[in-house]
Amino acid sequence: MRKKSGDFIERSLAEAVLFLKNSIFAEEYASRNGFLRSRATRAKILTIALILLAVLFTKSVLFLLGLYILCLIVAKASSISLGFFLKRTWIFIPMFALIIAVPALFSAFSPGEPLVTFKIFNAAFVITRQGAGAAAIFFMRVLTSVSWTVLLALTTRHFVLLKALRSFGIPQIFVMTLGMCYRYIYLLLDIFYNTHTAIKSRVGFISSSRKSRGVVGWNMANLWQRSYKLQNDVYSAMLSRGYNADVRVLDENGKSI
Amino acid sequence: MHIPDGYLGPATSGVLYVVMIPVWIAASNIVKKTLKAAQVPLLAIGAAFSFIIMMFNVPIPGGTTGHAVGAALAAIILGPWAACIAVTVALVIQALLFGDGGITAIGANCFNMAFIMPFTAYFIYKLISGKSAPESNIRIIAAAIAGYVSLNIAALFTAVEFGLQPLLHHTAGGQALYCPYGLNVALIAMMSEHLLIFGWIEALVTGLAVKYLQKHKEIPIS
Repeated sequence: MRKKSGDFIERSLAEAVLFLKNSIFAEEYASRNGFLRSRATRAKILTIALILLAVLFTKSVLFLLGLYILCLIVAKASSISLGFFLKRTWIFIPMFALIIAVPALFSAFSPGEPLVTFKIFNAAFVITRQGAGAAAIFFMRVLTSVSWTVLLALTTRHFVLLKALRSFGIPQIFVMTLGMCYRYIYLLLDIFYNTHTAIKSRVGFISSSRKSRGVVGWNMANLWQRSYKLQNDVYSAMLSRGYNADVRVLDENGKSI
Repeated sequence: MHIPDGYLGPATSGVLYVVMIPVWIAASNIVKKTLKAAQVPLLAIGAAFSFIIMMFNVPIPGGTTGHAVGAALAAIILGPWAACIAVTVALVIQALLFGDGGITAIGANCFNMAFIMPFTAYFIYKLISGKSAPESNIRIIAAAIAGYVSLNIAALFTAVEFGLQPLLHHTAGGQALYCPYGLNVALIAMMSEHLLIFGWIEALVTGLAVKYLQKHKEIPIS
């Protein structure tokens, strides 16, 4: 939940545009040369999956810190600007984890051996050793996981990453839906944007919250209506390209995988 | 409700992956049998639709906004098994490409939002709407209730998953290794915001969307 002022549709659109920007930027990054980009996709996915498992199982903050530093080194070796990488990986999820971790520092949530005691307006606050440990390991675990996941997305072209899932035995219907869905997200965002422009140009700004909620419901249903109608066109296009219920996907070299 | 990596321990993440595997296999087999070839793109469009719905901000009293999950609407429109695939795909794309929701938590996120939520919503919608006419107002009310209840049940499962972590994973000195809050905190935090805010958003969005679809009769709803 976010507390902001202004037009909620504008905010949704701003987020959608940011999503597109990030996505396109990630694709651009993934197509450049660099250490991790030149590795085989399957090997890369397996390695990062193993790292994520190590992050999940470890009980050591130092080990997590080591994996995090390794992630930054690999990102740098893969020609990713550290400023961009830190911005991308610290915003939202780790920040949110940090906010969640703060109350865990105190004795009210993590009783134990006092580490630091201080007073604010006669109220005593005690940070416990157990609380500090729990908050540190929780935050480092989230930060390290998010960083490796983002690194995978930044060093692998999105369609290649989704297609590589097929080689791990993921059912065809999921892989096919993933690949197609990825493209439709852009199309539906475009429809969403055009619909909003049409509403603004015809009825101007929406004033009350009640009307706004109606517009959201209408937008969603309208989006579904247009999506539903789109399926026939898409199916015709698939048939014209030789679709016979068996989906074949190609790798970067044009070989079937 | 998206759980990032690091919040759940290996036991919870692993068990929920194991629980979801037969669900995904069943969904894959059932949808393959029931979905006509011409409707195959619908699944992908449904997944993209679910993804986009999660991006919509809905205004709520007090100047704040929240977003819907869309799983209830997807279940009412596509049926629960197809909705399970569609929401799974949306969640996987969010986790793999955008780091929104963890990779090791995909099983848990899919259990809550792609299994519990669409199935609960679908059965509540069917139970309340019964044999009412497609254009009946009962269906709008049924959809809204299905949205509200299903989101809160999904949130309840998420809260329980969070709240179990300090019990399941801690050091000898009592230091929590994953989500640091017990059931008493997790249940209150998750359920208060979902019962008071996000549930109503899901209800509103689902009800209004069904109302719109009723007006445009060329689109069948489940």
